[in-house]
Amino acid sequence: MSSTAATSSKGSHLSRIWVIATHTFTQLVRMKVFYFLAVFAVIAIASNFFDLPQHEGPEAVGANVLRSIKSWSLGAMTLFSVVLSVVATALLLPKDAEDRTLYTILAKPVPRFDYLAGKLLGVLLLVFVSLALMDALMTAVLQVRTNMVVAQQEEMAKAMGWPQDAITSLRNETLESGPNASLQGAVFAVFLRASIMASLALLISTFSSSTLFTTIVSFLIYFIGHFQADARNLYLHSGEAGEGVFARLASLLLSLVLPDFQLFNVIDAVIEGQVLPMIAVAKLALVGLYYAVFFTIASWFIFADKEF
Amino acid sequence: MSDPAPAVEIRNLVKEFKTSFRRKPLRAVDDVSIRIMPGEVYGLIGPNGSGKSTTMKALLGLVAPSSGQCSIYGRDSLKVDSRDEVGFLPENPYFYKHLSGAETLRFYGKLCGLGGRKLEDRVGELLALVDLEGARDRRLGGYSKGMLQRIGLAQALVQEPRLVILDEPTAGVDPLGSRQIRDLILKLRERGITVFLCSHLLEQVQEVCDRVGIIFRGKMVREGKLEDLIAIEDQSEIVLRDASPELLEKIKELVESTPGASVVKTGKPRTTLERLFLREISEDAP
Repeated sequence: MSSTAATSSKGSHLSRIWVIATHTFTQLVRMKVFYFLAVFAVIAIASNFFDLPQHEGPEAVGANVLRSIKSWSLGAMTLFSVVLSVVATALLLPKDAEDRTLYTILAKPVPRFDYLAGKLLGVLLLVFVSLALMDALMTAVLQVRTNMVVAQQEEMAKAMGWPQDAITSLRNETLESGPNASLQGAVFAVFLRASIMASLALLISTFSSSTLFTTIVSFLIYFIGHFQADARNLYLHSGEAGEGVFARLASLLLSLVLPDFQLFNVIDAVIEGQVLPMIAVAKLALVGLYYAVFFTIASWFIFADKEF
Repeated sequence: MSDPAPAVEIRNLVKEFKTSFRRKPLRAVDDVSIRIMPGEVYGLIGPNGSGKSTTMKALLGLVAPSSGQCSIYGRDSLKVDSRDEVGFLPENPYFYKHLSGAETLRFYGKLCGLGGRKLEDRVGELLALVDLEGARDRRLGGYSKGMLQRIGLAQALVQEPRLVILDEPTAGVDPLGSRQIRDLILKLRERGITVFLCSHLLEQVQEVCDRVGIIFRGKMVREGKLEDLIAIEDQSEIVLRDASPELLEKIKELVESTPGASVVKTGKPRTTLERLFLREISEDAP
């Protein structure tokens, strides 16, 4: 009788993954990781003061400061999200195994995949919330500063006797440098890059025995990911080596396993004021999803047979 | 009446670990077989490194057997569903320090698919059972060793399992805490829950277990019902209250006059140091 009751109340994979994810999120929040938001706030506000004096005309007024806010904020977001993804993921698994809390979880009817997916989702949830808060702060600072710049430019243009349509055109141009959809797309790209890094750190931590090793290897792969596309192109287009089928297959395999972080250079383009089309965001989302799923499944293969 | 399925069945379990320096693998468990029937309290005793914890881990699917089989209520231990009806308390567990007692039980309950009112009721019931109602909202970082063991026992019981596996449940706990855990194990037995425990504290094992196995260097060297194992078959014991020296003398004479019987020892029975300690620190003590 009790057997039937217990079986019927086991719960689904999704609910178990969600329980572990929300617990991981709480665990990280209670480790006071949100303190870095204060540092971000300082960076976002300080970036307001990086305005090089330019007196060539109204169109140049404040252009630097708006770029500076975006550049510093997105840079800080990248730094915090990547560090948070790698370090938090690298810390959680070995800690659970060392403290034997992992035994108590796996001794419940919890499949190992659910445990891994829950941990990863918890870290991603934390990164997402952190980025959302940082994004809100950046958008607020940028909005206020854009309004100030527009007012300043209008005043200067009027004083210089610009025609009204030229003033309107300048105003629209400046507003485009403020908060817009492309900027939100860039923040989403930062999140995707952090997601790839978290799932990569998860994979490494399933066979590594120390947090330090996982962190170092993850960052090494992060840096390799920034020039692996260049290295591949150089290899494939330099003489005979790149012409063989084997070389092309090896290159393809490398790009399937090692993420190409140059794809995320679109973030820099957004800082420079370029538009990020939806199709590019969708493409990045697919790339991010591919690597996150690939690394998580690889982690599961290793973790499924791991002995404690 | 048909024979019920055993709660635990370990058949010819062998577990070898690869070692880095030697080619020959280390055999931690060597051909161990254990069968525990529902409702029994089984104690596995042995020195450190004798293979007790590895046997338990193999039963929980935390390590895979090199050969042999483990099953819980007929389900293979390597399958997740075998853990539906098991509660486990590992040796010296450190639960999540950032959670309170109630949050810990809620977390484990949710992992077992419990939720809502049912889970809240179960959390309250378990905190009462392990006498931690007063510390329900205190974070585990502030719990004493004994309290941690008790919350650990409570999490093991959260989904009302039919089998509870306890690895050194009283390790590092003071005699009072140790007694509380012993009483909890007795309560579990009264409720018909099967208990599989391993411990160094032989006196406690003797107090709570129905059957005992002695494991040494990975091999099961002795196993059986506790009373059969420790009874001295050719001796009998009579304990008297307020017996006068004359009465004792008469009994002695009667025994001496019976052919083949002899008095081995007379004297006053002694309490244990543990009982003395508990009596002295109890609130009723003068």
